[in-house]
Amino acid sequence: MQRTFPLILCFIFGILGIIPFIVPHPVVQHTDEFLRNDLLRILAAFALVLGLGSLLRVHFDKIQHRRENWQYSWVLLITFFLTSIIGLFGGVAGTGPLPTRIGNFSFDIQTIYLNVEVPLGATMFALLSFFMASAAYRSFRARSTEATLLLLAAFIVMIGILPLGNQISPHLPSFAQWIMDVPNVAGKRGIAFGIALGSLATALKILLGIERSWLGGGE
Amino acid sequence: MKIVDLMLKIDRRIIYLILAIVVILPLIIPSAQHVRVMAPVQKLYTAVDTIHPDKALMIDFDYDPQTQPELEPMALAILRHAFKKKIKILGLSLYVQPLGLAKAALDQVTGEINALAKTNSDSVIYGRDYVFLGWQPPPIVPILGMGESITNVYKKDFYGNQTDTLPLMKQIKNYNNVELLISISSGDPPLWWVSYAQNRFGLRVGVGCTAVSASDYYPYLQTGQFSGLMVGMKGAAEYEELVEKDLNIHKRRKASEALPSLTYAHLVMIVFIIIGNIGYFIKRRQK
Repeated sequence: MQRTFPLILCFIFGILGIIPFIVPHPVVQHTDEFLRNDLLRILAAFALVLGLGSLLRVHFDKIQHRRENWQYSWVLLITFFLTSIIGLFGGVAGTGPLPTRIGNFSFDIQTIYLNVEVPLGATMFALLSFFMASAAYRSFRARSTEATLLLLAAFIVMIGILPLGNQISPHLPSFAQWIMDVPNVAGKRGIAFGIALGSLATALKILLGIERSWLGGGE
Repeated sequence: MKIVDLMLKIDRRIIYLILAIVVILPLIIPSAQHVRVMAPVQKLYTAVDTIHPDKALMIDFDYDPQTQPELEPMALAILRHAFKKKIKILGLSLYVQPLGLAKAALDQVTGEINALAKTNSDSVIYGRDYVFLGWQPPPIVPILGMGESITNVYKKDFYGNQTDTLPLMKQIKNYNNVELLISISSGDPPLWWVSYAQNRFGLRVGVGCTAVSASDYYPYLQTGQFSGLMVGMKGAAEYEELVEKDLNIHKRRKASEALPSLTYAHLVMIVFIIIGNIGYFIKRRQK
């Protein structure tokens, strides 16, 4: 029963997800609307609680057992509770019951977001460019005809999309655009067909209970 | 022999330092570069420009701080364009993280317009000219749900107002009243809009995306499933160019200002790759 019931649920709701795309009858459409707008959102809320609960449990456990880098878990927990309280009771821009301003210093959720999360996120991503430059220098070698073609195409697109490309030759941006429009699309479309067929086959296998690895248990 | 080894093993710190210099220096003294507008951006601009006055433009702000430098200039340019043309706007995010940036972009552009407005009709007023719907999880639910009723999916807007009390929402009921959706995103949302909102409800979709994800989207542009495509910093600069030239809006052009940094960074990477390859060929010949 532990395995059969999820399989039955998966089959029923999988079919219910497909039917509204084919049958325009109001009963079907209203059922679909209820499933999506009410049921799915309730499930998503549970998933959010489950995810947050799991996150907190992992970090409490890390602190309790003094696992590697356990100090950082305190940072996560303190910021989690602090921002949650400010967000829940302070409102989006300090309009809630909790005061989020001391003199000129405001700490409402939008201010925290713009002054903490934005610079931190941007910094993390900015580092990527340095690693990419270093990795490109080390790994981009014209070892074969295919690799040489790839390298040339990359150079043309990299220069062609910039104003410099237009200054070198007005044909260069058009050629770069052609590379994106034709060879790129041809390759991507082939990959997309492969992925679509693969997804369809996997979806059918899951709906019909042939593929059961998602149930866990290692059967 | 020694030079060849040097060419093949440049210290990564030297690469980092040179890259940092060429990226930072042009940003200290910014100067907006003019760009040639390519067909995908022109198509998107025309799609926004020709929106019927009775219909709305929906903007999905799905960029986070990581991709903000590339995607925020797109959002600002589109907002300036749409508000100038008196197009009604519905804003939303499919994820929670971009909400703060979406609010900041809306606040910035509406602030710019209202600062110059002389009459009530010149102003951009919340609820009358635009609504920020906020966020509803999970992403597919609002995409499909809005095909039937927007106010049923977003009962309250980002600021906690009942959406059905807002004047704009009395005109804009569902996708039938939305002429174009523009997804400004660093991930998969543009494809979801095509899969669910376009295939089922016929919604037209335009896209602003990061340069790295662009190659995935060109097939959709070619088939006409995307009504236009803005790619990376260059795409944003092209839209800024059109907004400045066609609409005579002279505001700071962040994407155009960032292009020199991008140009030098690309050139540095190309030079390093060429140096590495020269070293590789000399070494191979010596063997």
